[in-house]
Amino acid sequence: MADRQIQSVALTIDGREVEVPKGLGLVEAAAVAGIEIPVFCYEPRLGPPVGACRMCLCEIEGTPKLQTACTLTAQDGMAIRTAQTSEKAAQGQDATLEFILVNHPLDCPVCDKGGECPLQDLTFRYGPGATRMTFPKRTFEKPIPISPAIALDRERCILCYRCTRFSESVSEDGQLVARNRGARTVIATFEDEPYRGRFSGNVIELCPVGALTSTQYRFEARPWEIQNVPSICGLCPVGCNITASTREGKVKRVLSRNHPEIDEGWLCDKGRFAFTHLHARDRITDPLRRVRRRGLSAISWDGALEEAEGMLRKARGRIVTALSGSETIEQAYGLAKLLRQGLGAHSAVLPEETNDALDRFRLPLSALREAELIVIVGDDPVAERAPVVDLWLRAARRAGAEVVSLGVTGTVQRPAGTAAETCRELAGPGSELGGRLRAADRAIVIWSGPGGRGGTLLAGLAGALGLDGKKSSGAFYLPATPNGRGVGEAWAAASDEEEANPEPIGLLVVSGDEAAADPGVRALAERAESVLATTMFQSLAVGWADLVLPGTSYLERDGTYRNLEGRLQRLRRTVIPPAPDELAWTAKLAERFGVALSPHPSLVFEELSAKIYRGVGLGEIGERAPLPAAAAPATAPDLSADPARAVAAPGMRLLTYRALFSGAAVERVPELQFQRPAREAELSSEDAGRLGVTDGDVIDVRSNGTSVRLATRINRALHAGVVRVAVEHARGLESRVQLEKPSGEVLR
Amino acid sequence: MPRASVVLADADERDLTKLDEYRAVGGYGALRSALALEPEQIIAELTGANLRGRGGAGFPMGRKASLIAKDSPKPTYLVVNADESEPGAFKDREIMLRTPHRLIEGCLITAHAIGSTSVFVYIRGEYLTEFEVLRTALEEVRQADLLGGVTIVLHRGAGAYICGEETALLDSLEGKRGLPRPRPPFPPVTGLYASPTQINNVQTIATVPKILELGSKEFAKLGVKTSPGTAVFSLSGNVVNPGNYELELGTPLRELIYDIGGGIPNGRAIKAIIPGGSSVPVLTPDQLDTPLDYNSIQAAGSFFGSAAVMVIDDRCCMVQLALRAAQFYMHESCGKCTPCREGTRWLVQLLEKIEDGRATHSDLDLLLSVCDRILGKSLCALGDFAVYPVSSYMAKFRDEFEAHVEQGGCPFAGESSIEGIVAPVELHERKSLSGSVDG
Repeated sequence: MADRQIQSVALTIDGREVEVPKGLGLVEAAAVAGIEIPVFCYEPRLGPPVGACRMCLCEIEGTPKLQTACTLTAQDGMAIRTAQTSEKAAQGQDATLEFILVNHPLDCPVCDKGGECPLQDLTFRYGPGATRMTFPKRTFEKPIPISPAIALDRERCILCYRCTRFSESVSEDGQLVARNRGARTVIATFEDEPYRGRFSGNVIELCPVGALTSTQYRFEARPWEIQNVPSICGLCPVGCNITASTREGKVKRVLSRNHPEIDEGWLCDKGRFAFTHLHARDRITDPLRRVRRRGLSAISWDGALEEAEGMLRKARGRIVTALSGSETIEQAYGLAKLLRQGLGAHSAVLPEETNDALDRFRLPLSALREAELIVIVGDDPVAERAPVVDLWLRAARRAGAEVVSLGVTGTVQRPAGTAAETCRELAGPGSELGGRLRAADRAIVIWSGPGGRGGTLLAGLAGALGLDGKKSSGAFYLPATPNGRGVGEAWAAASDEEEANPEPIGLLVVSGDEAAADPGVRALAERAESVLATTMFQSLAVGWADLVLPGTSYLERDGTYRNLEGRLQRLRRTVIPPAPDELAWTAKLAERFGVALSPHPSLVFEELSAKIYRGVGLGEIGERAPLPAAAAPATAPDLSADPARAVAAPGMRLLTYRALFSGAAVERVPELQFQRPAREAELSSEDAGRLGVTDGDVIDVRSNGTSVRLATRINRALHAGVVRVAVEHARGLESRVQLEKPSGEVLR
Repeated sequence: MPRASVVLADADERDLTKLDEYRAVGGYGALRSALALEPEQIIAELTGANLRGRGGAGFPMGRKASLIAKDSPKPTYLVVNADESEPGAFKDREIMLRTPHRLIEGCLITAHAIGSTSVFVYIRGEYLTEFEVLRTALEEVRQADLLGGVTIVLHRGAGAYICGEETALLDSLEGKRGLPRPRPPFPPVTGLYASPTQINNVQTIATVPKILELGSKEFAKLGVKTSPGTAVFSLSGNVVNPGNYELELGTPLRELIYDIGGGIPNGRAIKAIIPGGSSVPVLTPDQLDTPLDYNSIQAAGSFFGSAAVMVIDDRCCMVQLALRAAQFYMHESCGKCTPCREGTRWLVQLLEKIEDGRATHSDLDLLLSVCDRILGKSLCALGDFAVYPVSSYMAKFRDEFEAHVEQGGCPFAGESSIEGIVAPVELHERKSLSGSVDG
C-alpha cells in the first residue's frame, strides 16, 4: 500500500490551477486551492459521500447540470467553478440554504449549538438575510431523549444523515434510522428503543446543527464562555485524544480531538460522558482520618501529612504499595521515589504485567485499516478492553481485511483460557492460519484478554511469524489499565533494588481508585497493620483505610500516559482539582524523608525521561503525540508453555470480563447507568440446552459458599463449558462454578 | 399511421399469458436464435435498432448495454424496472398482464447479451395481479426448461414512487431504504450489490424479442428515424376511449386523442395535454399536431416520459391540478436531498394558498422562484418532476393563477373537476400503500 504510485492531476478551481493526487475529493482539492466549498452532509469518515444536502453544488465544465463537489473526485483537466465565481453555482447554494432554513427554527439564542454551529456559520457567510417563508414551520414533539445521554430535536434536524450513516457504517450498530419520507422524514432509533452502544455520543459531534445534543451539556454553557483544553482520555489504554470544554472551573463536556493514528476523531461513550464523576456526591476533597470502625472525618492537610509521615516511619520499610495503572507516569515515579529511595520500600502490587517485548512490532492503530489479515487471540471482547480498536477493526473489515478472532466468543471458537496454546499453534508449522499470516504483506496480531504476560507471548508469535520484517505488519497487546505500562516503568526507574515481601505488612499504600476497588488489594489490607489510601471517592475508602488522601481524575492532572501502542501522550490539567494533587503532596512528604522530588510534572518527566525515555521532551510529545519508532526490546519474547493449569474440576468454568461501562467513574454517572452490564450469566446454546435453561431463566451461580443470582442469557457465539459474567456481578466467585436453579436443584 | 404491434403483438387474438399460445406465435424463437449469437452481436442488433429506453429518459438500450463494465470480477446483473408509478402511466401493467412471456423472453435475451445469469424484476407493490401473472408465466418457463441457467427473481416493491428511480430501486432491492444514489458511479459500473448492472423498463425489455425476430433493419423502419419502434400509449383523462394503445412512434398527438381516443366527451373543448405522465410539462391544443416521439415532444417543450397521455378539458382548474401534482410529489419525495424534500412542501403550501384565494401576486412570483430553486439541483429527477407541472402550468395558464389572486378564490369553484384526470387528494391518501405516513 505504501508503495502505491500516487498519480497527480492538474485541475482548475475558480481559475486557480492546482495539482492534487488523482481521486482526491473536490472539496479537499478546493481546499488545496484555498477555496471553501461549504458542506453539511459531507464527512469522509462516514464512508462514501451521499450528496444529500446539496450545499456543495458547483459548475463543472462540460456538464450542463450543477454537480455536488462532495461526490466527485479530481480528474485531470477538470475545470470547476464554485459559488464564488459561478452565478449558477451561487444560485444553487442560495437555494440549498434557503430550503434548509425554511423549516429550521429560529431558536439559535437558546440552542446549545449556537456559536459553534456550521448551519449558523454558513448562513452568516452565504445565506439570505431575510426569509420568504410565511407558512407555519414543521413542528415535532421535542426534545426526544433517544437515550439518557442524547436528546433529539427533530425541528432543528436538517436531515444530513450523518448520524444514521455513523450508526450504519462506522459503529455498525444500525440503531439510528430515518423514518417516514419526504418532508415527514425524521431521525429515530430503531423501534424507539434507547440508543445503546459504545459510541453513540459521536453523533452529537457529527450533527451540524443542534438536533442531537448531550443531555449533560444542555443549557450548561455557550461556546464563547468555555475554554477548550486539549488532553487525553485516561479511561482505557487507547488514549483517545480529547478536548475538555470547561466553564468557570468545571468540565462541561468532553469532545473528541482527532488523532488520525489513534482515534480518527471517534470517542467512546465512557470517554465522552464519564467526566461528571468529578462532581460525584462522595468525592473526597479533604484528607480523612478513620474514626471508629466505619467513620471518616476530615482533617487538615498539615495534620494529614504529619499522620502520613508517622505511618510511613512506623512501618519501617515494611510497606507494600498497590498501584492502579491510571496514575500518570510522573505520579507513579514520584511515589516510587518517595517510597523506594526515601524508605527502602520496594514491594509493589503492579496493576498488570507489562513490558517492552512488543516494541519491535510497533504500529499506529490506524495501520489496522490497511491490514489484509488480522488475527485476534484471547477471551476478552476487544470492544470492552479498548473500544476504539473495535472501530478500527470494523473499518478494516469494510476495507476488505479478513479479521479472525480465536477465543471463547471468536469467529473460531476456542475453549476459555487457551490463548497461549493458540499462539503456539499459530506459530507452529502446521497452522494454516499461521501460514497465511506469514504470507500476508500486511498482517497484524492482537492479544485481547487476560494473561499474555504483558505481550511476551504475542511477541513470541509475532516473531515466529516474521512480522517485524514487514513494514505494515505488527502486533498489539491490549492492556487492562490505561497506563499500566507507564506506571510499571516509572516504578522500576526509581530504584534498582530487588523487591522483598514484608511480612507482616506494616503499611499498605493504595494508590488510586482501581487499586482501592480491587478485591486482591482489599485482601492484602486485611493483613496490613495500617492502610493509607488515595482515592477520589469516599465509598471506596470507608471501613478499611486509616488515612485517606484525596485523589484526582485524569482530567485534573498534568502528566504523561503511555498507551497501548507505546505512545507517550500528554494529559493536561483541564480543571483545578478540589484538593492538591498526588504529586504535590507526594513531594511534600518526600521532603520530610530527604528525597528531592519536584511537585511539577514537567520537571519530574524531564528527570524520568533522561533515565528511561532517551531524553524525549514534552515539546516533542506535543498535542498530537508521535509514535516512537519500533525498538528492539529488552524483554525476550516467550512462547513457552504456561505453568501447568488446574486439571478439569467438576462444574463449569467461570469467565469474567471487565465491561467497558464499569468502574468507579461510570458508576457515578447517571447517563451511563443504562449501559452497564446486565446481571446476566452467558451460556452457550449447547450448555443451555443440556442444562435445560433458556433466555431469562434465573439461576444461581455458586462456588465455594458464594452464590450469585443472575439471569441466563444464551450467547450463540460462546464456546461450550463456560459461564461468562461481567466481573462486577461475579464478586466472590472462583473459577469453577456450579449452576443451580433458585429451588436449589443443581444443573448438570 | 396504422396501429402497430410489437410488444402487444397477437395479444388481442390469443391468450399470450399461456406458454403454448405464446410459442404458437413464435414465442421464444428469438431467444433460441439469440443464444446462438455472441453477446456482442446482440448488443449490435439493439444498437442498430436504436431502441430508446421506454422508461422515460429515452437512453439507447444498446449503448447502455455496451457500458457494462467488462473487467469486473463481480457478477453482472439485469434489473427490470416494473415499478410503474407515474400518475397517468399504465402501459407496463398491460404488457405484464397480457404478454408476460415476451417480457421474460426479453429478459433472457438481454441477460445473455450482457453476460448475466441473474435477473431481478422489481414490480410495483400495488401490481399484485401482474405479479401473479408473471409468476405463473415464469413457472411455466421454468418447467419448460427455457431459463438456461438464468435465475429470474420477481421482487415486489412496497409502495414508493421513488423506487422507480433506478438507483433507489437498487437500494430497495438490496433491502435498504429506497433512496437515490449519487452518480457517478453509474449502475453499469457500480449497480446492484456494487456490481455492473443493466437496468431497463418493462417495455424496453419486452421489445427485445421482436428486434431479434424482425432484425434491427426491419425494426428501425417502424416509427421515426430518431426513435424507431412503437410505444404503448396510456391514454387517460377527459377522453372518450381511454386505454392503452400501441402505436408507432411519430404518431401525431391529434390522431391518438381524436381518431383513436374518440375525442373529448360531451363535445367539450380541449384545454391542455400532458404527453408523458404527470411529471412532464403541459402542452396546449395548438400543439396537437406534435408527433409523439422523443425529439418532437422535446422540441415542443415537454418530454416523451412514460408515454402517458393525459387529456384535460376546459372544466379543469390548472391551479387545482398543479396542487394535486405537487401534493403527489411532496408525498413521494424520499427526503434524502434538501431541495426536493423542503421545496415540494413549500410548493404545496403556496399552491394551497393560491387555490384558497389567499395569495397575492408576489406569491405567484415566489412560486416560480421556488420552482427555479428546485429545478436541476436535486439529487435525482424527482425534484424536477415536481417542478415541471407547476412551472409549465404557470407559464401557459398564468391568467388562471392570477384570476385566483384577483377573485380571492377559485374561478372554477363548484364546476372544476380534476376527477378523471388524477385521483383526488383524499382518495390518494386513503388508498396509499406507502406504509406509515404519520409524522
